[in-house]
Amino acid sequence: MIVKMGQEGPLSWEGKMTRLITKLGFATGLAFVTAASSLAQELPKNLRVVIGSTSTGGDTYQAASFVADAMSKHFNINAKVDAVGPTEAFKAIARDRRGTTIMIHHDQSYLGHLYGVKGYEDIFATYKIGPTLTINPGNAYLVPKKSPYKSVVEVIDAAANGTRVRVAIQPGGVSEIGFSALKNAAKIKKPGSEENIVPVNTGSQSDKDQLLFDGQVDVINGSVQSNEQYTRLPENDQKAMRFIWLTAAQETLEQVNEKGLGETSRESLMQYATPKASVTLDGEKDFTFDKDFFILYNKDIDPAIVAAIDAGLKEIYAKGAIDKTMKDAFFVPHFLPSMEATAYLEKKRGDYNKVIEAIRQ
Amino acid sequence: MDFLPQITPLFLTLILCGTVIGIIFGAIPGMTATMAVAVCLPLTYSLGLENGLALLLSLYVGGISGGLVPAILLNIPGTPASIATTFDGYPMTQRGEGESALKIGIYASLFGGLFSLAVLYLFAPALADFAIQFSYVEKFLIIFLALTVMAALSSSMLIGIFSGVLGILVSLIGAYDVSDGGNGEYRLMFDFMEPYLSSGFSLLPVLIGVFGLSSILIEAAAGVPESTSAAKVALGQGKKFRLSIFRGEWINLFRSASIGTFVGLLPGVGGSAASIMSYSQAKTFSKNPKTFGRGNPAGVIASEASNNGLTGGALIPLLSLGIPGDATTAILIGAFTLQGLQVGPLFIGGNPEIWKSMIVAMLIANVCMFAVMYFAIRHIARIVMVPKYILLPVILMMCVVGAYTTNYGIMFDVWTLLIFGLFGYLAHLIRLEIAPFIIGFILGPSAEIYFVKSLESFGTFTIFFTKSWIAMVLWILIAISIGLSIWMSTSAARHRDET
Amino acid sequence: MNMASFPKVSIDFASSHLVFPMLVSVLLGLLLVAILVTRWRTIWGAFTTGPYWPAGIDHRRFFGTIVLTVLYFLAMPQIGDFFPNEGYGFLIASIPFLFLISLLYLHQRTRRQIVIAAINAVLAPTVVWYLLSTAFSLTLP
Repeated sequence: MIVKMGQEGPLSWEGKMTRLITKLGFATGLAFVTAASSLAQELPKNLRVVIGSTSTGGDTYQAASFVADAMSKHFNINAKVDAVGPTEAFKAIARDRRGTTIMIHHDQSYLGHLYGVKGYEDIFATYKIGPTLTINPGNAYLVPKKSPYKSVVEVIDAAANGTRVRVAIQPGGVSEIGFSALKNAAKIKKPGSEENIVPVNTGSQSDKDQLLFDGQVDVINGSVQSNEQYTRLPENDQKAMRFIWLTAAQETLEQVNEKGLGETSRESLMQYATPKASVTLDGEKDFTFDKDFFILYNKDIDPAIVAAIDAGLKEIYAKGAIDKTMKDAFFVPHFLPSMEATAYLEKKRGDYNKVIEAIRQ
Repeated sequence: MDFLPQITPLFLTLILCGTVIGIIFGAIPGMTATMAVAVCLPLTYSLGLENGLALLLSLYVGGISGGLVPAILLNIPGTPASIATTFDGYPMTQRGEGESALKIGIYASLFGGLFSLAVLYLFAPALADFAIQFSYVEKFLIIFLALTVMAALSSSMLIGIFSGVLGILVSLIGAYDVSDGGNGEYRLMFDFMEPYLSSGFSLLPVLIGVFGLSSILIEAAAGVPESTSAAKVALGQGKKFRLSIFRGEWINLFRSASIGTFVGLLPGVGGSAASIMSYSQAKTFSKNPKTFGRGNPAGVIASEASNNGLTGGALIPLLSLGIPGDATTAILIGAFTLQGLQVGPLFIGGNPEIWKSMIVAMLIANVCMFAVMYFAIRHIARIVMVPKYILLPVILMMCVVGAYTTNYGIMFDVWTLLIFGLFGYLAHLIRLEIAPFIIGFILGPSAEIYFVKSLESFGTFTIFFTKSWIAMVLWILIAISIGLSIWMSTSAARHRDET
Repeated sequence: MNMASFPKVSIDFASSHLVFPMLVSVLLGLLLVAILVTRWRTIWGAFTTGPYWPAGIDHRRFFGTIVLTVLYFLAMPQIGDFFPNEGYGFLIASIPFLFLISLLYLHQRTRRQIVIAAINAVLAPTVVWYLLSTAFSLTLP
């Protein structure tokens, strides 16, 4: 079975070659034509999109590519994604007031600051927050298939009953926030029992998986995208895992494409998220975390550029093509113009700050 | 033969283009296979998965192979994985055997590539299950084994180890990387360095600084003597290449290709460790280890067979665990996700057509690489005849481009190049050893993570001995490697005393 | 790191960034002492008898290279800043840099060689700039 979701048209191979050659830039003439007919006066002709990740295989790069491609076409500019990593990306937009460099990052940008990671500042004070773009709903927690824990509720119960539960996370951000929520929920259930949920700090996804295979941890933070196939392995396989919790909100998961991911449908994914898998925030509401991708600008950027990008993205999202691309890739489109995005993200930051403060000794 | 329909003219053209572009990227100091794959990644979206992967895989094969050219001819490793190629390749060039060394390297590369491809095709899932037996402890021991080569590399063991340990220390500057599992705290630097050094010095600028820029500075200090006529003579002199060089090297070939494949399949150990380890093993088991480092073809064979062995090896965890084995395969993941396809333990079984087409693409790419390089060698080898007033400035410019683009456009990386160029020159003056230094620098960060995490999880030093039988085997290899270094250095000292 | 009951050890995550650097520093210090002890004669000899650096090297070419390189690195981002994200900083700075370095390294500056150097200085950066910046859309200064 070949699962191809690329926009593969019925092109002849000559057609494909022509496209490749054009892409390789040997058709210089074309570049001149594009340059001459540039319509968007406000936006720089060459836009550098720096991202807060050094990986070109990760979700930040993917999300940024969707948006950069769409903007290139829409504004008739050349938007290029550079995976420079968080520190360098912040520095790059801090230097550039003209708006020739913009940054795309996700909740890590303020969570890093909340957790006190070196190199992260208060983004709301230091930069201008741009529009939100898309959500990766895949943040997940998993256990070995043979694990006694059948659900996230059982993990919290176990902690309340005095059992030590070790959770592999990457400290200081997106990977830790769900872990903090687990501790918070345990504390609400039985104060003091949050001590029983202990972090095992590690790095990449492969390191987290490896700890689970070695039996060094009971629960790992992972993602639907990278762990889904492991959940389909037979139980006697050392590598077999089971989802216990997806942090995404119900409204978000409802927008995921129906097929879900791999062979796990949206329907079955929703079993592992609120309200079915409940991790309480305050005893009433459930904690949720959607990994939002958004644009960050230099603090003193020309408001005309911000407005132009807001307006352009609004049209792009209205057309709907980007929705399909995102949904095909297991992303959920989520466009909010700059003003609304700022308020939305500030509220999010406030909520998570409460969780982190609540469990801080 | 159900994959034959996929071999279309486009498929073949892409592989040829990919191999050639990859070789060029690999051959330019500072540009790497990883970069070649990264810049071509966006192209794959419009190409479709099979064709896109064919392009990327051939870039990978070409890029890894191209690294031997500057390593042998200019003493500058084209990619980090070809460091060990310089140890014997460049001395051969100095003897006038550059062309021969290149050919040896290409044959070894082809062998390594095909060997690892066969392993990938036949044993991928089984080996992936073996790879997950390697926890922090075993990975630390592997790195430690690779580090023991520092002692054996240099004329003086003490200076060699000192240089290597210095390299490790320099590699630790900056934050204890959160994305590797560290706590993100800074160390080994002053506050004013924070804006630049928060993520430490990048590998590639350091590498081309100490190898590339510093050799230009050494030339400049010597007044840039033009000796093209001598080079012309040298090119024709020396031993001609004969396939018989490989006679007696079969074990070396197999061992190196296996080490390459094996290290490739361990996520997080890194490709450079493979060629360094194969080199030291070749030296350890050689009848006359003292000829290593002075232009022994076996050294080139070991390094090149193993770094091409990586190509198949690193794909094993990618395709059967969804985990990239090295930096380049990490980018390949992007090609899959761009097409909406997840890699993981069920990938091969679920997508037999894509799997077979990848194998075929790699096979053709390896053959293509061999053919292209073999016929281009005569011309490539003439690079030593380009007058230095042209060659050196161009190398300098390419080093700058490589440094700047390695992290997608960071100016500090260019300054790193200069800093380590000067350091390399200084090291040359005070007789520090560059090769162990850079090995320490490359392996330092992984050594730290695996060492500290082992102790963090197990809470005792004894775990390094008691963890598993794999750990015991690694200790035996480490003991042999260290014992040999000591034996060699004492016998060299005795030899010095006698003369 | 608490090593009170060796070989048992407990590492506090908050200070775990210091464990390995400390270990490596100590090792480096020991090696330095070992080198000084075994080779103090050679080292002392090198200190007491000349010639001292930078005697005996080609001053003009060595320091010329360093000065030109520093100017080149300083100029690149400055020029590039006028043309954001075009890579012109690299292109414009590289041409004179290459030409001057070539001139510096030439021994006999015949007209022919100067012309070759000039052509190379224009051609090489242009080709590199075109291929990388345009064809592969890599970011250049």
